[in-house]
Amino acid sequence: MSFLQAILDGLLIGGVYAVISIGLTLVYGVMGIVNFAQAEFLTIGMFVAWFAWAFLGLDPVLAAPLSFAVAFAIGWVVQGQLIARVLTAPSVAQIFLTVGILIVIENGSLLLFGSQFRSVTTSYQTVSLSLGPLFISIPYLIAFAMSLVCGAALWWFMRASWFGRAMRATAQNPSAAKLMGVDTELMYKMAFALGVGLTAFGGAVILPYVTVFPGVGGQFVVLMFTVVVLGGLGSVAGAVVGGLAVGVIQALSSLFFPIQLQNLVLFIVFILVLAVRPQGLVGASR
Amino acid sequence: MKRCLALAAVIVATALLPSLLDPRGYWIRVLTFTLLFAAMAQAWNIVGGLANQTSLGHAAFFGIGAYTSTVLLLKFGVSPWLGMLAGGALGGLAAFIIAIPTMRLQGHYFALATLAFGEVMRVIANVWTSLTGGPGGLSVPFVPPSFAAYSFKLLRPHAYIALAALVVVTAIFEIIRRGAMGYRLRAIKQNPAAAEVIGVDTTRVKLQAAVISGALIAMLGTLYAQVAVFFDPDTVFGIASISIRIALIAIIGGVGTAAGPILGAFFIIPLEEVMNDLLSSRAAGLSQLVFGIILIAVILWRPRGFITVFDSWRARRSRTVAS
Amino acid sequence: MAGAALAHGGVMTILEVRSLSRRFGGLQALSEVTFAVDQGEIVGVIGPNGAGKTTLFSTLVGLIRPDAGTVRLDGKDLAGLKPHTVAGLGMTKTFQNVALFAESSVLDNVLTAGLLRHGVDAARSAALGCLDRVGLRAVAHKQAGNLSFPERARVELARALCTAPKVLLLDEVMAALNRAEMGEIMQLIRSLREDGVTLLVVEHHMRAIMNICDRILVLNFGRLLADGTPGQVARDPKVIEAYLGRSVEARQ
Repeated sequence: MSFLQAILDGLLIGGVYAVISIGLTLVYGVMGIVNFAQAEFLTIGMFVAWFAWAFLGLDPVLAAPLSFAVAFAIGWVVQGQLIARVLTAPSVAQIFLTVGILIVIENGSLLLFGSQFRSVTTSYQTVSLSLGPLFISIPYLIAFAMSLVCGAALWWFMRASWFGRAMRATAQNPSAAKLMGVDTELMYKMAFALGVGLTAFGGAVILPYVTVFPGVGGQFVVLMFTVVVLGGLGSVAGAVVGGLAVGVIQALSSLFFPIQLQNLVLFIVFILVLAVRPQGLVGASR
Repeated sequence: MKRCLALAAVIVATALLPSLLDPRGYWIRVLTFTLLFAAMAQAWNIVGGLANQTSLGHAAFFGIGAYTSTVLLLKFGVSPWLGMLAGGALGGLAAFIIAIPTMRLQGHYFALATLAFGEVMRVIANVWTSLTGGPGGLSVPFVPPSFAAYSFKLLRPHAYIALAALVVVTAIFEIIRRGAMGYRLRAIKQNPAAAEVIGVDTTRVKLQAAVISGALIAMLGTLYAQVAVFFDPDTVFGIASISIRIALIAIIGGVGTAAGPILGAFFIIPLEEVMNDLLSSRAAGLSQLVFGIILIAVILWRPRGFITVFDSWRARRSRTVAS
Repeated sequence: MAGAALAHGGVMTILEVRSLSRRFGGLQALSEVTFAVDQGEIVGVIGPNGAGKTTLFSTLVGLIRPDAGTVRLDGKDLAGLKPHTVAGLGMTKTFQNVALFAESSVLDNVLTAGLLRHGVDAARSAALGCLDRVGLRAVAHKQAGNLSFPERARVELARALCTAPKVLLLDEVMAALNRAEMGEIMQLIRSLREDGVTLLVVEHHMRAIMNICDRILVLNFGRLLADGTPGQVARDPKVIEAYLGRSVEARQ
């Protein structure tokens, strides 16, 4: 029974993991770089939502679009001023630029906000619905619902809007896209800003059940990377599959292992996928 | 040739330094860690520079070395020198185990996989409390000073040992670079299929580089343990404190050259110390923040590191000499 | 029988290929290719573009694993062996679009191949010797990527030679050469045969192939169409049809 409960919880949480991780795969798909600082934008999103709650009384779920907007703006500037300059540099330079950004954001948060742990209290935090013998935690459910909304919006954006199609064209063939009049620099900014914005959105949405502090992003790094690698770096659909899978794996491993070892399970999955099927379950190799 | 002479001059000067500095002082400690990190970066350079694979997981081997010699000392009274050899063997073995599944990965993927391995080791060290002391860390026990026991009253011998280690690792790096293995690694870097067809066993060569690099870094872990006297999983298996830092040192100094890690270490470690001193007392995280900003600035200015600066100076000089 | 080289009439069979097949998705790149090459032969491999010639070479040296069939070099089965092992056993190939180590010097390119049989210093002398043989000693210290295409093709040839092969597979080594340069390469190929090397040569220059080859294999759509002397092959109606199309037969 706890087995089924774990799977249910895992799926609900997994939806959020998907939203958090989509940005990482989007950036890789369009620009070919792994943004090692992606998880830091989760931290940013969580802090924005927390302060909105503390000073404006906004429910984190309502603050999520605000988190998105702030991260989007920061991402736009970061891409334009920093990342754009290393797109043609050797991968080692790209890796360390995003590592540098990681260091700046993490320590910047530490300086601005201090190291203490902060959390929110909402009316529905401890409430759950019962579905037969199973319980559905309301914070999880709301997070999942928000992820669905977010996912649908993203899907519409990528498929139906001009921007989305231009981004996909840039991902597949930058020179051809340029010839067709697509401003690839703009697309890169868009992809990066959108990507980090989504991660921040996810951060706000999980605030009801996760404590925020400057290092919180770091706790999600391996998780995010496992999601995108499992689904296939570059594939948005893969991030969804990966997110759900990771959610379930994590929930199931919590039945058997203490929390430290749960992370170990994730790491091992991560390494196995990279070794055995680097293109992931859904993605095609780049 | 000129670069070799300059390097030799630097090494000779550095060899004199420990004798000049106050043996109980602050700066000799900084020098010791600078030399140690230079050696670590040089060991990383074998895989990161010659084999062109950016590993972000070398902390895994470093920690294995530190823990192996310290645990052997604590539980069985084994001399750290022997413990260092044992650590080196285990580090080499770990590198072998890690290299096999990551062999085919490139660039960013490889960095990710190695990062994950480093983290796996850190988690294991935190959890396996009976062996490693868990998150509480380990202290190297006090032993009456003697060379055989790797125990000294002053810091000066530690500095000299670190210097010797740097010389040894650099020599190994150069031997590889100039020898058959260097040619093979350069071939693999540029065109792996062509390398195979002309008889280069690409898998074996990459494994060799990985094992040598891992074993060397593990042995340097013992040096660290003996100087620092106390360490915990987050310190010796840390992504930021070890893995990223040594890769960074090699990159900023100039990846793939013998001088690079040395230049990088002498720039970064003292700078970090100074910044920590000046800034950390004011606010937590400020020195790291400044460091991150410097890193970004250097990458944007010179994506290949300081060596490219020296290269262009040399090029300009030789052009004027020729004319 | 297994492991022993086949001898007939005093001449050894050095390369034996049986029913070699390989599919890529929907494309059958090689289909039941079967032939044998005697030691010291110069065998031409021709066929329209996409016939499977490069795939054949890549499969022989072990870059590609066949779906079925066997390759025997000097009696030894090469199944599952990696290219570096095949090179050690005495077979190597050049790449159609030239695969040099562009950032290294010409000498270093060839030297690396010499490391298969020698230490660094001996490999260096061997490399200089090979560069002499293809007439490129003068550019030994130039960066390989800076040479012209024909020069790079010759460096690649020198590099393959430096592995001291028994069987050398040349993939369009005469592309983009002028008449004089082609003559030199053909001379070189003949002199290699005199040294005991067996050669398989993919070329599109018909006159050159007909001139130097003892035998010609014709591939089309992955199948071996013909296997005979230049004279036989030139008159084979299947070959003519493959190159010129059905229209020839229709007109008759």
